[in-house]
Amino acid sequence: MADTSKPATRKAAIVGGNRIPFARSNTAYAQASNQDMLTATLDGLVARFGLQGAQVGEVVAGAVLKHARDFNLTRESVLGSTLAATTPAYDIQQACGTGLEAAVLVANKIALGQIESGIAGGVDTTSDAPLAVGDDLRRVLISLNNAKTMGDRLKALAKIRPGQLVPDMPRNAEPRTGLAMGDHAAITAKEWEIGREEQDELAVRSHHNMAAAYERGFFDDLVTPFLGLTRDNNLRPDSSLEKLAKLKPVFGKGEGATMTAANSTPLTDGASAVLLASDEWAAEKGLPVLAHLVDAQTAAVDYVHGGEGLLMAPVYAMPVMLARNGLTLQDFDFYEIHEAFASTVLSTMKAWEDPAFCKEKLGLDAPLGSIDRSKLNVYGSSLAAGHPFAATGGRIVASLAKMLHEAGPGKRGLISICAAGGQGVVAILES
Amino acid sequence: MATTVLDAAPSLASLYAKAALTSRGRGGELPDTRLARHGVTVDRDHLADYARVCRMPLADVLPATYPHMLAFPLQMALMTDRAFPLATVGLVHVRNRIEVFRGVRADEALDLEVWAERFAAHRSGATVDLCASAAVGGQAVWRSRSTYLSRGAKAPDGAPEADVDVAVGSLERTAATWRVPDDAGRRYAKVSGDVNPIHLSGLTAKALGFKRAIAHGMWVKARVLGALAGRLPEALEVDVAFRKPLFLPSTVALSTAEVTGGWDVAVRSATSGTEHLIGSIRTLKEKH
Repeated sequence: MADTSKPATRKAAIVGGNRIPFARSNTAYAQASNQDMLTATLDGLVARFGLQGAQVGEVVAGAVLKHARDFNLTRESVLGSTLAATTPAYDIQQACGTGLEAAVLVANKIALGQIESGIAGGVDTTSDAPLAVGDDLRRVLISLNNAKTMGDRLKALAKIRPGQLVPDMPRNAEPRTGLAMGDHAAITAKEWEIGREEQDELAVRSHHNMAAAYERGFFDDLVTPFLGLTRDNNLRPDSSLEKLAKLKPVFGKGEGATMTAANSTPLTDGASAVLLASDEWAAEKGLPVLAHLVDAQTAAVDYVHGGEGLLMAPVYAMPVMLARNGLTLQDFDFYEIHEAFASTVLSTMKAWEDPAFCKEKLGLDAPLGSIDRSKLNVYGSSLAAGHPFAATGGRIVASLAKMLHEAGPGKRGLISICAAGGQGVVAILES
Repeated sequence: MATTVLDAAPSLASLYAKAALTSRGRGGELPDTRLARHGVTVDRDHLADYARVCRMPLADVLPATYPHMLAFPLQMALMTDRAFPLATVGLVHVRNRIEVFRGVRADEALDLEVWAERFAAHRSGATVDLCASAAVGGQAVWRSRSTYLSRGAKAPDGAPEADVDVAVGSLERTAATWRVPDDAGRRYAKVSGDVNPIHLSGLTAKALGFKRAIAHGMWVKARVLGALAGRLPEALEVDVAFRKPLFLPSTVALSTAEVTGGWDVAVRSATSGTEHLIGSIRTLKEKH
């Protein structure tokens, strides 16, 4: 006999989202902390869905670059927000996968009937970035703090060398390889023979698509102005191939270098949040259901010793998720492939089209095949909006859910997000 | 009544110097003058500095106490004018009541006006209210009343009794303990421009009769609001009485109690229980 003590799993609904406009590093949000931005984003979501003083099942969010003071960041933000202070919260961190993984975690608890509603989010600041003292100085300061006598304190202080006083700047580099993420991406771009022009084309299209979406008011109920900013300030509606062609490569070396500041995402500040719920909860509150989160898959690659590209993990996650759902790569109406770098999107798609790669690396009889480019990132992606690491997932989930809702019932959308550490998260949404 | 419109905020440092030089020979009635500034815009970097020093979240809606930053220099100009009957040096801020009629956004240009009223008799001197109002496009959005006590001063004959008390209910439970550092006065002075020597250092405070530097009352008030961020109505009235000075450094305890329509609050010494601030925060129902 079936165990009836627990509800059968159900699909979590995406009710809507909110984000603040994304700002290039050291511009509009130079003075804002992670907590300021996440709190403002939660308050915007609360205002949009009338949740003032309401308790939701949980809030899950994270930041990639965190200060020591960002301890319990999400819970602290909830306490400073207009949500009920009795709303539980926790932090996660999976580099650029943080936002989407947070949505998956909330959706899973809803699916299991453990919660009825939840908020998934992410925030990052590269302006108010944590500076750490170097490891040597840190050890001296800890021993100074532990010293009991004046003599011990002086001994500890005597160990400080001038060179130790230079703080450690956070860098967008892999700890195990010492390479910047862009340098890793450049290696992959070279392996997959991704040209400069196709990267620039993708970047220009991202800007034009997003500008058009803003123009038609698509983001009106997805974005709340913050600190004087009403649109992402990285967005260049007048971006053109001619302008982009003039830029010098910044990642990769020598003649074959193709990656510029325009076809790579800039350092960005921002935050996003998505409201998920059971269908029953949404109906009870009179709130819409834009789409459901159908399934998700995370994968990791060995970019350190295994020779796979740092940002190629979504390529591996995809066939696993598609097989589990009995779907092919072509069974979707919209594709959201996070534009960490234009070359990453292009390498990802090329890998799925490559019979040898799909056979040898993914263990497939046939390649996953190609994607209809007219369905890819139709309202722009990270090259246009910018990429505040942990906030990108929430931006994509909320936008895609709205796109699917607008397209009508039964439409499917696919998300693919690559992350530092050789990880990747993919997900399916359905209206 | 005469209203003088100023183009820029007066410098507080020079007004304090003027106050020190012109404290003698004051007397008479309150002047009927008003000072005003039109189209005052908020400098977002300043707002960020203010939010940081008062431990408030950085947001687009101004903290209830922020317009005071913009109005205070005008009030100082009014008080240091020779026509003002009380010497500015030695004035003690004993009560501050702020009404926010609606949330004021940082991108709104404010028309500010300040005036003095209610010269009143107090058991140890006289009090006067320095008032301020802020309007956006002709609509009042914010108003404040700062009551100052001048010890030993005498209110004119027939003056009303001073009103310096704020009623609060029982406040037993400590919500937070704050360690207020030695430099709290200097930090707030840097942001607010309120460089009254009693806040800056032990030496300068001693010169004016205080045993140590004391925290700015408006800073304590702002920190209380910061501690209640996300739990406050948009239209509100925050009325606080500043009791005993908060000597620096100190460890103080914030007590809050949710009551019908708002909060009662108190800030007291964590060690002796000496009351520094008591206040009431209420949803503002009537529009003014």
